[in-house]
Amino acid sequence: FRYTRNLVDSGNGKFNLMILCWGEGHGSSIHDHTDSHCFMKILQGNLKETLFEWPEKKGNGEMTKKSERVLRENQCAYINDSIGLHRVENISHTESAVSLHLYSPPFDSCNTFDQRTGHKHKVKMTFYSQFGERTPCVSTTYCTPH
Amino acid sequence: LPAGLAQWFPALEVLDVSGTGLSGLGAELLALPRLHTLLAKNNRLGGPGALPKGLGRAPLGRSLRVLNLSGNRFAEVPPALLELRGLQSLSLGGNRLHGIPPDIQELRSLEFLYLGGNFITSVPPELANLPSLSYLVLCDNKIQSIPPQLAQLHSLRSLSLHNNLLTYLPREILNLVHLEELSLRGNPLVVRFVRDLTYNPPSLQELAGRTIKTRNVPYAPSDLPENLVRYLSLASNCPNPKCGGVYFDSCVRQIKFVDFCGKYRIPLMHYLCSPECSSPCSSASQSSTSQSESDSEDEASVAARRMQKVLLG
Repeated sequence: FRYTRNLVDSGNGKFNLMILCWGEGHGSSIHDHTDSHCFMKILQGNLKETLFEWPEKKGNGEMTKKSERVLRENQCAYINDSIGLHRVENISHTESAVSLHLYSPPFDSCNTFDQRTGHKHKVKMTFYSQFGERTPCVSTTYCTPH
Repeated sequence: LPAGLAQWFPALEVLDVSGTGLSGLGAELLALPRLHTLLAKNNRLGGPGALPKGLGRAPLGRSLRVLNLSGNRFAEVPPALLELRGLQSLSLGGNRLHGIPPDIQELRSLEFLYLGGNFITSVPPELANLPSLSYLVLCDNKIQSIPPQLAQLHSLRSLSLHNNLLTYLPREILNLVHLEELSLRGNPLVVRFVRDLTYNPPSLQELAGRTIKTRNVPYAPSDLPENLVRYLSLASNCPNPKCGGVYFDSCVRQIKFVDFCGKYRIPLMHYLCSPECSSPCSSASQSSTSQSESDSEDEASVAARRMQKVLLG
């Protein structure tokens, strides 16, 4: 029902390599990258990336959009916390999309941000599958971005 | 498509004619008795003759389970489509729809409905009569409000409402206990308490309707004009537990903020049948801004925490 994160390689603990599958209309929350390097390559379809400024310390207003672009098949993108925050979405209503993500060092939690207020909320990130095997769901109350 | 299609490929189960420039799906498809999945995305379908006549009665009409017509030119849901009683999955994403016909309720087997990327301005309450609907996508439209009746979609697990014109949600949304995903980003949701707006006293029709409902006055469809039968079926119950009344159009509106996952505040619209009623959640005063915004441990919030994955972003 939403995009899936599928772990492909955990690189001896040095990085996480995963494939994300986005159905029509699927998108992520605005999120940070927990001080890691993040590379993304589009394997199929298109993904829209919207960059946001970090909200002010006591921010209580709409977050500021820095830029947005549509990444096409085979295009690559990079982000880290010093560049900013982003939201990634498959804006197509007819095609699904697939992207390859490399995170180094690996991280399993990050912050998601409410675009209207800038408030952040730490979330744990989970995998739909790992190394080809379906990861059973853990039923908890939480909000997830990637 | 070739006229002999059903003769040459009687065992055909999946047919993908996406991106072929078709402006009509013809009668040659009707006799395919095993075809359960028909993908016709990104074509020129939408004018008269987009779907073959007699679809509902044909073998194809009984076998079809999945139909994808996204990326075409439909300005309205073609009536022929509503005859597909076995249809489980329907996509009309990225078309030119301005509305959803109430007869959508005829698609009794529907589990998956994708209507994102159209020009839909409102949602008919009849959509709530689809007993198996679990995945409903209404993103990227022009929807200003969601009918509270949608809370009757007990099977609903995923609801996509992002990028619309919603300023609030009906309080009843919290009754969707199986809802695991809800996307609301890109809506002009009110972020501050909105004081109650003007209260229009009920019309005579409304007062008569309320009396019929609360006193259980018996009536049969043959007793009343069709429009009044439909009107009476749309009665909503006042959420005030001490009231037990019903209302139709005339009600007091009150926005209440509910915390999701303890972090996001969603404005929910409470409808009450009269200014004397109060929301089950509120205490004495509805006048203090800070009081309403600080309400967190009340029945509405408990219900909100039952919703597991909320994608608000």
